[in-house]
This record gives sequence, structure tokens and C-alpha cells, in this order.
Amino acid sequence: MKFTATKEKLLEGLQQVQNVVSTRTTLPILSNVLLQAGDGSVHLTTTDLDVGVRGSFEAEVEKDGATTLPARRLFNIVRELPSSEIQIDVDGKNAASIRSGQSFFKILGLPEEEFPPLPKFEDAKVVTIRQKDLRDGLRKTSYAISTDETRYVLNGLLFSLKENKLTLVATDGRRLAMVDIELEIPRSQEADIIVPTKAVTELQRLLSDGGDVKVSVASGQIAFDLNQTLLVSKLIEGNYPNYKQVIPAEAKERVTLERETFLNSLRRVSLLASEKSNSIKLNFSKNNIDITANTPEVGEAKESLPVQYKGRDFSIAFNPEFFMAPLRALTEDEVFLDLIDEMSPGVLKIQTPFLYVLMPMRISS
Amino acid sequence: MDDKCSQLWQKLSAALKPQVSADTFKRWFSAVELVGATEKTLSFRVPNNIYQYWIESNHMSALQAAVLSAFGEPREIKFICSESPVEDMETIGVSKENDSGRDSKPSAGSSLGLNPRNTFESFVIGPNNEIAHAAALAVAQAPARTYNPLFIYGGVGLGKTHLMQAIGQYVIAKKKNTKVIYLSSELFINEFIDAIQHNNLVKFRKRYRQADLLCIDDIQFLAGKERSQEEFFHTFNTLFDGHKQIVLSCDRPASEIANLEHRLVSRFEWGLTAELQPPAIETRLAILRKKARGMQIKLPDEIFEFLANRIRSNVRRLEGALMRVASFASLSGKQLTREIIEHLLKDILQEEARTSITIEQIQRKVAEHFDVRLADMTSKRRPASIAFPRQVAMYLARELTKSSLNEIGDAFGGRDHGTVLHACKLVKRRMKEQDNIRQTISFIDSSLQR
Repeated sequence: MKFTATKEKLLEGLQQVQNVVSTRTTLPILSNVLLQAGDGSVHLTTTDLDVGVRGSFEAEVEKDGATTLPARRLFNIVRELPSSEIQIDVDGKNAASIRSGQSFFKILGLPEEEFPPLPKFEDAKVVTIRQKDLRDGLRKTSYAISTDETRYVLNGLLFSLKENKLTLVATDGRRLAMVDIELEIPRSQEADIIVPTKAVTELQRLLSDGGDVKVSVASGQIAFDLNQTLLVSKLIEGNYPNYKQVIPAEAKERVTLERETFLNSLRRVSLLASEKSNSIKLNFSKNNIDITANTPEVGEAKESLPVQYKGRDFSIAFNPEFFMAPLRALTEDEVFLDLIDEMSPGVLKIQTPFLYVLMPMRISS
Repeated sequence: MDDKCSQLWQKLSAALKPQVSADTFKRWFSAVELVGATEKTLSFRVPNNIYQYWIESNHMSALQAAVLSAFGEPREIKFICSESPVEDMETIGVSKENDSGRDSKPSAGSSLGLNPRNTFESFVIGPNNEIAHAAALAVAQAPARTYNPLFIYGGVGLGKTHLMQAIGQYVIAKKKNTKVIYLSSELFINEFIDAIQHNNLVKFRKRYRQADLLCIDDIQFLAGKERSQEEFFHTFNTLFDGHKQIVLSCDRPASEIANLEHRLVSRFEWGLTAELQPPAIETRLAILRKKARGMQIKLPDEIFEFLANRIRSNVRRLEGALMRVASFASLSGKQLTREIIEHLLKDILQEEARTSITIEQIQRKVAEHFDVRLADMTSKRRPASIAFPRQVAMYLARELTKSSLNEIGDAFGGRDHGTVLHACKLVKRRMKEQDNIRQTISFIDSSLQR
């Protein structure tokens, strides 16, 4: 195998796949990247057996062939090379010679046959989504995925393909984020699946603003085909909890908040939220919110925000980090906060189908 | 739901309703069933796992509080999820752990290894321990403000551990959330070794470096353990820099601990060093009286005086003797006389006598036994007939008193410590070689201790 490519193309290709590379040392082949040269391009594949990514870059291929090379090492070398043209020449023993300008490297790889193949998708259910829609949806929900490994069904994002919409749900038991994306889904293609966090993170990196993504769901597997790149992942087995139970019925009060202003205030006030209780209080009064935090023996912070509010006076406490996460992920100028009372969950909404349920913290009197 | 459970659930929901909002109760708890109740655990059946997740994450404290007010004591709470039986097993296990963690909090004092009897109230103050007591109290009242670190040292059974535990309990009683760690340095070392073995160092460090009050007992055991010393050095610095209180106890002054790094010695001497001395007779009497009152026993004054007089070295032994006398009195029902007590406490009194032997007594006894003049013990003359008894006396002085080589040398007419050392070695060797010498010396030894 022998090919020449520009540094930018090669680096870009490696960047797409190298995050998946396994850190498990038990199977050395998993820390390698599979390179397959032919037909004017080189395909790159990495996998950790749970998630796999396949991408490609343009190259002048002199001799077709395939090999695997240590991904992290190859990436570090390519990144440091000074000249823009890079030639990689692999001999029959999987030793790669990398030439670029005055530099020469030789790194040892493993044979292509040892690399585990990505799963095949037959009899899969297929839907097509606009990349931009999916990327927005992931951004608005993925931060709420649980990291508590004992609740493994929550360690992923629910993709519910039903009733002509894709519903994405993430929850960790204290908050819940949900987005609906309208989509034509034939009855036969409906499915409820849980995509693990790692695949969600990788997918977010790969999705762009233009084009479509073809989603194929087979038993225990999912594939996202983005034309140039392909991401496959195992699914989390089990039933996602009935999240609808969490969403409060009718709200009593609604306030409209300027997202950025409110976020900045929260960030400032939260500097004085104590590590132990980690809560900030919102005190509502006529046309005003006071955001306060105080830590015994440290100090306190307070900020007032004028808002449209005509309801009764009351106070409610939240975990500031949980409140700021959705505000950071959203891009809208205005968000709506729906509240019932100081012991019931608050709900953040925007004009489009999005919902964020946040449990209040107990106010100790 | 059988009758008993449904009754209990009614009682519990009545207690729970004011704790949560009406909507929360209707949404989450109306679908919950109480399916099992034992003395320790309550099992709830929930329709599916979201109930368990959400209640565990958000309403556990309300539920626990309701359990407490309905049944008067905390119970372990388990959820059984009717949907997916496999997962139940796992999550039940988890909730169990969480709960037991929670339950153990109220009785924090005892779980820390603090003896509830060791408080400031039960400590008898005398001129021998005034300073240490005052310092300990000051530290307990304002941790890390006054004396940091507090270094308490003194012989066995003089109250080092008592004072340290009193500090710990005082601090916990005053502020529940304070993180108090009390342990012996030996345990510290063991845990450190364990952490190295299991690659748990981060957890180990987290545990100790986040304490608000760290009490380490018997710090002298750190001597010679280099890695542990280093670890402790960093722990010490982290806590000290974070203005956390450190209390240490030792059986000797810091500077006298052999094989302890200088940087540690200097740090130990940084704050306040307080010495505990053996109690004087008045204090001993006070301790005995207080103890007797605590044990609800009545003894004649003369017995108190006898005990206080004869047992001087250490409080623990004093208490042991009192206990023995008291239990003998209640078991046998006999009138206690001096002779009975003397017989009863024979071994203790003998031990005591050993510590009060003086070099002069030894010299007199040895001189008498070998039939030489007492003045020969200190004279410069050294024919074998005098030199050997003198060496025996030096050897006995070394064995039976706490005097240093130099002090013994001085007591034998200003000889230097090398001479004393030589004498001890020589006598030991001859004791090994010649039976009659060994017998002679052990005879003098036992007659001295009588």
C-alpha cells in the first residue's frame, strides 16, 4: 500500500475517527486505525467494539492495499509534520514509512485481518433526518444523560421513533430534557432505542449543518450514515423509563426570561453557592426575580432581574449547574419558565418542541 | 397489599403528605404499594423503574422523614419494580447501600471509634493535666483557631486518648456536619498500605485530606515507616494549610521519637505541646471517688486512700484496681480489710513497687548482699570484690529504674555512661555463663521488688 495526501486531509480524516480508539490494552488491535487505500481515497476505521467510526480522505493512491497502524501515534506524527505533502508507504510486514519533506518515520502496524469488522446491517429499519435537526436535538438533550453507572438504561439517549416524530429524551433522575423532531416515519419503521453516551458524543462531533443522515436500526445495533462517514454503535439493552410520568401537568405561573441575561446572572450568583448544598434561590415578586445564594461562613450573593411577573410571591431553589446546562445548550433569545409551587418541578420551554424538567431543592428554613 | 401493610401505608402516607406537594404525592406516591414491612426494612412496589429513579433521586429525604415520624425509627427502604425483575436485584442492592450509609450518620460518634464515656465531663482535672485539659478544651471549642496542631504526650494510662476522644465528641456534638476522623497511627499506616496495594491512594487521600478534625493517637508508631511518614507529612500540610484542626498524641515528646523525620518533628512542635504527668495523690483520690460514683459502689475512705497511695503510676491501673476491689466486695460480701486488699492486688502492687525502686535502694541492697560498704558503691576503688557488686548494682539500676545511663553513672560516683554500659554487658554475659550469678542476681531483684 502506498499513497500521498496533503497534511490537512489526512489530519482531518484522523480527527474524525481517533476519539473512538479504545483505551483498553487487552486488545492491542483496538488502539489501531484501519487504513484501506484504493480508488483515489483512503478509508479509515476505528472501533472499541461498542462504537465504531469509518471515514475517508482523498489521496493519490499509487498502490492499493490495507493495514492497521497505531492511531494515536500516527495522529501525533502527522500533526507535527512540517511539510504539506505526506507519503505513506507500507511494506508486506505492515511497517509504514512516513515521508514528508526532510522527515522520515517508520512505525510498525498489525495485519488488516486482525481488525474486527464493523457489523452488517440487514433487515434494518431506516429513517432519514436532516443533520442540522439531529445535531440541534442532541445538543439540547445530551447534557442531561445520567453518568450513574448503576442505572445503565439512563446512560444513554432515548431515540423514540413514533407517530411521525423523533423524540430524544435524556434524564438522570433529577432533571429531564426532551426534544421532538418532526419526521415522516412509516408505521413499519417505528422503534424505541437507547443510544449510549459515547456514540451520542461522537455523533455530535460528526454532524454538520448541511445534508441528511440515514439512521439504520437493527437488533442491538444502530448506524448513522453521513455520506462521507459512518458511525455504528451497540444499543443499550433494556426499557427506557416512562419519562412522561415526570412531566408536570398544568403550570400555575409562567415567566419569560432573556436567556443570556439570566444565564449570566445565574453564573455570577452561583459563585457563592456552597459546595455542600449547591443551591441557588429564585425569589419571585411582582415584576422581579431576586437570584440569591449563600454559604454559611463564606458569604452571599444576590442579583435582581426585572421580568414580566404578576403571580404570587414565592421562592424556589435549584441546583445552579442543572439550571445553567440547558440555558447554555439553547440558542433562542427567550425561554419560558413554568412553575407550580416551591416543591414541584420547574419546566423550561421554548417556542419549538423542547422541554426541560428540573426538580427543585428543598429550601431549609 | 395485606391488612397490616395497608394500615402501615395509611399511617406513612399521612406522615408523608405534608412533606411533599400535593401534585408530587398524587403523581409518585399514589401508585406506590407497601408490600413488605419488617423491623428493619420496608419494601415498596412501584409500577415501573421511573418511579424508583425519581423517588430515590428526589423524594428520599421526605420519605425517610415520614418513616421516622410514623414509626419512630429509620427503616431501610427497598423498591420492587413490577416491570423488569432482573434490574430489581441490582437496584435493590444499590439502594440498600445508600440507606445504610444514611442510617449510620446519626450515631456518628460511635461509628468513628469514639468511646462515649470519654468526654470532658468525665475527665478529672489536677495540677498534672491542667494545661493539657485546658488546651484540649480550647481546641474543641474553636477548632483550628487556637492551637494547631495540638500535641499531647505522656505515659500510658494518663488520659491522652481520653482527651482526644473528648475533643472529637465535643466537636461532633456541637456541629453535626463536621468531618471528624479519629484513629491510631497504626490504623493510618495499615490503611495506607492497603491503599497502595489496591491502588486506592486517591480515595485514601481524599478521606484524610478532607477532614475538619483529624485526631491521630499514638503517633510514635510512625517511627521508622518512611512512606507513611511522607504521606502523613502531606496530609498534615494539606490540613494545616486548609485551617483544619490536627490533634496528635504520643507517649514521649516529639523530639524523642527515634526515626521520625525532622520536618515532621518540627511540625509537631509547631502548635501547642501539652504534657500529661502522673496524677498526684489528691488527683488520684478524686479520680477514684469519681469512678466509684460512676460505678455506683461505696467503699470506706481508708480503702480509697490505700489505693491512691499505693498505685501511683497510671490511671488505667488505678481504675482496674478499684474495679477488682469493688467486684470482690460485691461477690464475697466480706468486710474489706487492708490485708485482703493487699492480697487481692498483689500483682498490681508488685508492679507498682518496681517502678518506685531507687538507685539508692539498689545500692543498699547489693552492698548488704555482697557485704561491702555502701560507700564502696560510689568510691573510685576497684578491686574485684568491690567492682563486681558495683557492676551488679549498675545492671539492676538499668533494669529496674527508668534512669538513663548518665544518671546511673552519676549515682555511682560520677562514672561516665560507657562504664555503666560496660557493666551491664558484663553482668549479662556472666549471668548467661554462670548459673550461681544468675541466681544471686534474681534473688536480689525479687527481694528489691517485695
